[in-house]
Amino acid sequence: MGTLSAGLNISLQSLLAEQAAIETTSNNIANVNTPGYARQRPDLAETPPIQIGNLTFGTGVQLQQVTSLRDAILDLRVNQETQQQGQLTSFLGSAQQIQALFNETTGSGLQHSLTAFFNSLSQLSTNPSDLNVRQGVLTAAQNLANAFNQTSTNLITLQRNVDVSVTQSVSQINTLAAQIATVNAQVSAAVSSKQNAGPFIDQRQQLINQLSNLVDVSEIDAGHGSLTLTTNGGAALVVGGQSFQLAMQTDPTTALQHVFSQGSDITSKITGGQLAGQIQIRDQEIPTLQTSLDTLAANLANAVNAQHQAGFDLNGAPGGNLFVPPPAGGVGAALVFSVAITDPTTIAASSDGAAGDNANANALLALQNQAIVNGETPLNYYSSLVFKIGSDVSNAQTQQQSGGLILQQIQNLQGGISGVDINEEAANLIRFQNAYQASAQVSSIINSLLQTTINLVQ
Amino acid sequence: MPIRLNPNLLPDLLIAVQQSQQNMTTATTQLASGRSVNQLSDNPAAVAALVGNHNQASQDDQFLQNINSLQTRLQVGDSTLSSVVTVLTRAISIGTEGANGTLNDADRQAIAGEVQGLTSQLLSLANTTYQGTFLFAGTAVTTQPFTLDTTTNTVTYNGNANSTSVQLSNGNPIKTNVPGSQLFLNAAGSAFGALQNLYASLISGSNIGLAVGQVQSALSQVSIQRVFYGNGLNQVNLSESFLNQDKINLSSQENSLVGVDPAKAASDLVRAQLANQSTLSATGRILSLPNLLSFLK
Repeated sequence: MGTLSAGLNISLQSLLAEQAAIETTSNNIANVNTPGYARQRPDLAETPPIQIGNLTFGTGVQLQQVTSLRDAILDLRVNQETQQQGQLTSFLGSAQQIQALFNETTGSGLQHSLTAFFNSLSQLSTNPSDLNVRQGVLTAAQNLANAFNQTSTNLITLQRNVDVSVTQSVSQINTLAAQIATVNAQVSAAVSSKQNAGPFIDQRQQLINQLSNLVDVSEIDAGHGSLTLTTNGGAALVVGGQSFQLAMQTDPTTALQHVFSQGSDITSKITGGQLAGQIQIRDQEIPTLQTSLDTLAANLANAVNAQHQAGFDLNGAPGGNLFVPPPAGGVGAALVFSVAITDPTTIAASSDGAAGDNANANALLALQNQAIVNGETPLNYYSSLVFKIGSDVSNAQTQQQSGGLILQQIQNLQGGISGVDINEEAANLIRFQNAYQASAQVSSIINSLLQTTINLVQ
Repeated sequence: MPIRLNPNLLPDLLIAVQQSQQNMTTATTQLASGRSVNQLSDNPAAVAALVGNHNQASQDDQFLQNINSLQTRLQVGDSTLSSVVTVLTRAISIGTEGANGTLNDADRQAIAGEVQGLTSQLLSLANTTYQGTFLFAGTAVTTQPFTLDTTTNTVTYNGNANSTSVQLSNGNPIKTNVPGSQLFLNAAGSAFGALQNLYASLISGSNIGLAVGQVQSALSQVSIQRVFYGNGLNQVNLSESFLNQDKINLSSQENSLVGVDPAKAASDLVRAQLANQSTLSATGRILSLPNLLSFLK
């Protein structure tokens, strides 16, 4: 049979348990806007009953634990989608700058200079001995050279800027990895000592999510709450309480920064996050465009020079090079594209040395409709290039939008599990408050009962 | 029991607001620029086609400019040859007069003197220049094509027998000149040769009729060659109207590639504004909803 003091004890325990529950609720409300916070639930449980004779009495309530509500799989999915978003967003940021360099929608790109050059030859064919017209050809050739140089220089500048961003991203990755390692150790310490690791896991998830925005992260459960983080290519980032720093090294040929992990070059193995987008722009997108521009510049210069040499200038002398011959193999041809002559009389418009002959000017003009650049006319080659730039951006935009929708949905699912709902907390608060008040009332009643009992024996 | 929803509605609401603002910006840009494609990524295929379109339009402009300069050149050639016809016709008429048996030597010499004058007129016409170059020198445009040796009274041709051609539009070349040798020293009727023979015949008083006949065949040669200039002008005028039409076509093609339907863009803008306002009002309403705590006293 129970005693009055046992009842007093039960109500005291109840007061403590409800107080802890109110504290948890209060903490939930306090963190309603904290990024990465997972709502906590006080797990109340009966204390073990006691057996007196053949009767079993309950002994009250206790707060067993405080549980953070989160879904590890959803956390993982959010991180994965964040990696893809990070990659596409940084890719798009630079790719949109690239497409602005080739803005042909207003006709102010390279096409304008290319057409103007051939038009100047067309004009030359109508009056091949006129010095003003000849000067017009030189000016148009110079403008074309400037357009090639400028576009190429802009691409190089963009590449250098992205290179700086790569270094910044790696340094952010290293900072985050170090922070995650510290929190990771705290999680496993809490788990080992059977404490609530929830707050540390919240913090760790938030940091891993930030890391996912920067680089591809693969998570492996190492037991005791500890996580091992590597890149998808297997380069270690965090193992237990230790972080592994990524290092930068300058590539001797390109002067661009390469990413090293434990002494091996992992630059081309980064598959997600901002870093991957930056590397994709720097090492693939820009070099491909640069090569295409070089191909166009080199083939055009070679074809024009060959035809120019077949003719004769205004003085009857054989034609030389109109453009400075491009470097062998064409590498860097767009950057160094330049006009070789300054004297308008040395333009070889004539095919037989006669001052009024325009056959070579016509032959030079005809190059614009000949397949002189990788089996295509210069203009068609260029418009394919423009198409590629536009469709790269447009594809990335589509992927980013659909990925963004997926991320939004997963984050909503995650919020459904972990998000703090003020209404729910308010309802809980009333529940806990009522229980607290009731327990206090019980204490008071037992107190008066005890008082009665004590007065009885007087 | 229903599935627990994400209590934090803010991210979804903000995305909706952003989306509607984006739609407004797009519609405004389209209206302001009059183009539905303002960046390569808006429609890569249309922009690639536009590169060709702009190239073609710019070429057409250049071809029209070429045509303009050709028209003047051909007109100058044509009117020069018209003067040549006048000179030769005059030679025939005074030659016929000289063939009249009633004339005495002095009369014939006076006529011969006029023939000499006509020869130098012809010489000057044959050396006509246009924009500083000789029109009838073949392609040797910087050397005077015809010179008269006053002692032997013979005319030499210093030009060449070549001609040039210019593209009127892509793949449509036109010859722009007839070499002087073909016009004035043609084997089938040489204008200079005929006038010189006429002069010699008038001085000697023999074979005048034959010499007049030679001037007549030289005249018909010049007339035949003159047709070239007339035809050339026709061809150039035809190309001009073709190019003008092509430019209209190109501009309408550009419009269909990247142009914007103003009515559609305007209604898009109105719709986007409406969507933006309703999203904002919904957001405001949702965010200011009272929660359970507001009812606890």
